[in-house]
Amino acid sequence: MIRFLLIGLLRDRSRSLFPVLMVSAGVFLTVVLYAYIKGMVGDMVDASARFDTGHVKIVSRAYHLRESQAPNDLALLGVDDLLATIRTIHPRMVWTPRIRFGGLLDVPDANGETRAQGPVAGLAIDLLNKDTPERNILKLDESLVRGRMPEQPDEILISETFGRKLGVPLDKNVTLMSATMYGSMTLHNFTVVGTVHFGMAALDRQLILVDINDAQRALDMTDGAGEILGFKPELDYADQEMRILSQSFNRRFNSAEDEFSPIMHALSEKDLLGEILEMTNIGGGIIIAVFVFAMSIVLWNAGLMNGIRRYGEIGVRLAMGESKGDVYRSMIVEAVCIGIIGSVVGTIFGILTAYWLQYHGLDFTDFMRQSTMLMSGVIRAKVTPFSYVIGFFPGLLASVIGTLFAGIGVFQRQTAQLFKELEV
Amino acid sequence: MLTLRLAWRNITGAGLRTWLNVGVLSFIYVLVIWHQGILLGMQRHAVNAMISDEISGGQFWCRGYDPFDPLTIEDSHQNIPTDLLSLIDEETATPILVRPGTIYPKNRMQSILIKGIDPDQRILDIPSSDLQDIPHRLPVMVGKTMARKNGLTQGEEFVIRWRDADGTFDAIEGHIVSIMDTIVPAIDQGQIWVPLADLQELSGMAKQATLVVVDQQVRGLPAAKNWVFKDQANLLRDVNDMVNSKRGGAVFMYIILMFLAMLAIFDTQVLAIFRRRREIGTMMALGMPRIRVIGLFTLEGILLGILAIGVAAVYGIPALYYTAQKGLPISDDTSDWGFAVASRLFPAYSAALITGTVAIVMITITIVSFLPSRRIAKLNPTDALKGKLT
Amino acid sequence: MNAIYMTALSCFCLLVLFFSPVWAEDLSGEEILKRIDDNFLSSGSISVSTMIITGRRGTRTITSRQWAQGTRKTFTHFLSPPREKGTKMLKIEDALWIYTPATDRLIKIAGHMLRQSLMGSDASYEDFMEDPELNKTYDVNISGTETYLDRACYVLELTAKPGSKVAYHSRKFWVDKERFLALREDLFAKSGKLLKKVTIQEVFRVDGRWYPKRFTFKDVLKDGDGTQIIIDNIELDAEIPEYMFSKAALRR
Repeated sequence: MIRFLLIGLLRDRSRSLFPVLMVSAGVFLTVVLYAYIKGMVGDMVDASARFDTGHVKIVSRAYHLRESQAPNDLALLGVDDLLATIRTIHPRMVWTPRIRFGGLLDVPDANGETRAQGPVAGLAIDLLNKDTPERNILKLDESLVRGRMPEQPDEILISETFGRKLGVPLDKNVTLMSATMYGSMTLHNFTVVGTVHFGMAALDRQLILVDINDAQRALDMTDGAGEILGFKPELDYADQEMRILSQSFNRRFNSAEDEFSPIMHALSEKDLLGEILEMTNIGGGIIIAVFVFAMSIVLWNAGLMNGIRRYGEIGVRLAMGESKGDVYRSMIVEAVCIGIIGSVVGTIFGILTAYWLQYHGLDFTDFMRQSTMLMSGVIRAKVTPFSYVIGFFPGLLASVIGTLFAGIGVFQRQTAQLFKELEV
Repeated sequence: MLTLRLAWRNITGAGLRTWLNVGVLSFIYVLVIWHQGILLGMQRHAVNAMISDEISGGQFWCRGYDPFDPLTIEDSHQNIPTDLLSLIDEETATPILVRPGTIYPKNRMQSILIKGIDPDQRILDIPSSDLQDIPHRLPVMVGKTMARKNGLTQGEEFVIRWRDADGTFDAIEGHIVSIMDTIVPAIDQGQIWVPLADLQELSGMAKQATLVVVDQQVRGLPAAKNWVFKDQANLLRDVNDMVNSKRGGAVFMYIILMFLAMLAIFDTQVLAIFRRRREIGTMMALGMPRIRVIGLFTLEGILLGILAIGVAAVYGIPALYYTAQKGLPISDDTSDWGFAVASRLFPAYSAALITGTVAIVMITITIVSFLPSRRIAKLNPTDALKGKLT
Repeated sequence: MNAIYMTALSCFCLLVLFFSPVWAEDLSGEEILKRIDDNFLSSGSISVSTMIITGRRGTRTITSRQWAQGTRKTFTHFLSPPREKGTKMLKIEDALWIYTPATDRLIKIAGHMLRQSLMGSDASYEDFMEDPELNKTYDVNISGTETYLDRACYVLELTAKPGSKVAYHSRKFWVDKERFLALREDLFAKSGKLLKKVTIQEVFRVDGRWYPKRFTFKDVLKDGDGTQIIIDNIELDAEIPEYMFSKAALRR
């Protein structure tokens, strides 16, 4: 039966091609918009998560109270053990230690005398490890402007803006002046091998990215880290899960008596991030819901039209003795076929486009050339598991429902009347 | 006129299908305007806040001053030139002195900037008048983010230490008399505000300033030797750039929404022509020129768009008005972004935005209504009468 | 780098002076200060000291050797812990250079870096840079006598002369009447607020002079117990070659 209908659909292009195209187009738009909204909503908290809070963040209790000042004298120690333990307890999460630090970067002239100095905001991350998650978390490869990624100890990346301002040459030594976790002044030589640009004014003004092992040596923080960030593998934030995770962690590790015991906070527990998260989710949800609803109406309309324009054919079939129920059912099966084919085709193209947007982005930078600053004008989508399904709501359900309604007409009309509409 | 009446009767006669399409189109109007309104609101809010709280008509910076380079602060103080003094006397400019210092809230040392401002100034819309509260030796005002991040509260006292012009340490008990509600990080984080005269006296820098903020009304600015004028556009560049970078995203969303509109209208038109071919044949047989038949169908599409404007207005205006009044909550912990972002965002809907959106949607609808209707031109009236499409 | 030590040294050099066998009753405050400065500026000293810093994370001990010529020029060479070993610091008047063997860079410390605490101690680089000639920069007044640590002391109050460029507007000394050693020094801001406090716990004799052996430097605005400094040995009136106070010496 289905085969028969499929062949029928294939042979009659007006019955198949146009509706399938309609459904595909609608589903395609739905999938792309959904992924785009997800990407946009994600972007709002994403930057915070990637650069600052993680999905969860572990710091010492004392550090937590003064977190905005990144007080490394209150940093976590025994980080290797702690990391090993939490990696065993939560193997699916990505755990990565970081150190934030301030200081001055000193650029020497040919004689080794200071040529330029500038204040820096340092971020030490797992940079050299081959399988480092940070490359993905901070999108380092995409953010690289000049030079290359660090490969050897003491190779660092600095912000493009800062590098240009200070006139830092690539592959030359610079000296970081900072304070160790015990408050001593420390000098450490680094080689700038590349520059990065993240599109966030404050970061791009004075960021330097250092490998965490180098930072531990430079800042006298053996086995220490200011913070340990935890991420879900696909970097999709799941609030409920992260809150439960941090509660169970704190029950186990946190102790009110020890000011250096680790304490974990979920992203949404940080300041107003929870509120933004909720708002963007709701806002994004509204847009998606409205869009899916609108698309459903369009496709329902299409389903309806499809049914109506075939009244003639239905008349013939009824005249030949097919029962109304059979005709109705076959119409619905056809609609289901069209819906599925259309949804699958639309979803495939939609997902491909969304993935392309996720990995390459759509670059609007050219439209903003008047801007003197380098600025990320790149649009990114985010493909989530639900992206694969969302298109089926308008694509399958709406077109089937449309046909269901249109098909009711079959029961309401007399065979003769339908037959009359044939008149080909 | 006849065409219009016919078109109107046709689309109202179509009942549910018309209203479904109108509904979809109205969504598109509302979504586009809302989304754009949020962006515009964000930009306006940030720009307005920066203008009112921080930059006003622009700032004169004493030579060498770079707010992003803490190394320049120490030496960034100069006598205010006479040209600027006369503006200050006319109350169309206000000087600010910036000094590096250290505060000890809860006995932990923290490097900050101390900014002195005239409590009576009216150039910037910040509650500097709270600093007139003089029972305390040194009344202090801090921004709300500074307060929140460092756990500072109204009425709290802490020691402020700095060096005067001779390099001599001075320290005094500061008393927080005001927590300033601002969204501009540049006047909030890592700094405290005190009365200008006190700071000038305490640091031994009488009549000196680091920058002078000029009122927006001032025309014909004086050239001050050794002072550099930074105009509004210059100081607002970061925030404008940021919003522009988001514009791309908005364009992308419009394109998708326009496709939705096109799909809705195109679908309707194609099937309408299919279903109404006999009607088309009849009209042509009765002598209606093809162009007018095409016009009729196109007009029906356009009428859908116009009806949608009405429908969008019915529910969109209250909804958009509500969000514009109540605002949408977003983070105020945007220190890492480096520009002013409100904790509550009020979308702004300009007339240009609304008419622009309507125009773009209407043009799209017109084109998409017209395209399928062109087929009518190829129709043979006899076939059409029989119900055939060729 | 040993900022506390340096600051302490400036006061401690003035302590040295008090040991002079002239009865203080015979001297005016100005005369005392002049002797402090005369004594202080003329002599070169070479000392080894230990600094004990107690923080929230435990205690660290840092040792260094220091060559000083008056208060204007000092050269510090850190001996331990291993991390700090080989780090050298040169101060000439109001300029400060630092050298670490790991970087092989000579870097001038300026601006807001000077406000940083060094070694995690209660002293900052600014404290380190402090080198007043007391008799030129301060007016002195003997305000009375007090018993301090079971010793009879004169209390000296110093107030900066108008226009003098000093870090502390006023200072207060408790000077042992017999040994002429200041047992305590308080450092005040212009507003009169107490900022820093140096207290001696133990004294010893070097070449017939009384010297502080163990003392504490405390930033009173900060939490904690302050930084303890122990003078392990000191050679006074030492001949120090001039090249010691050159940038080239840092790299040697």
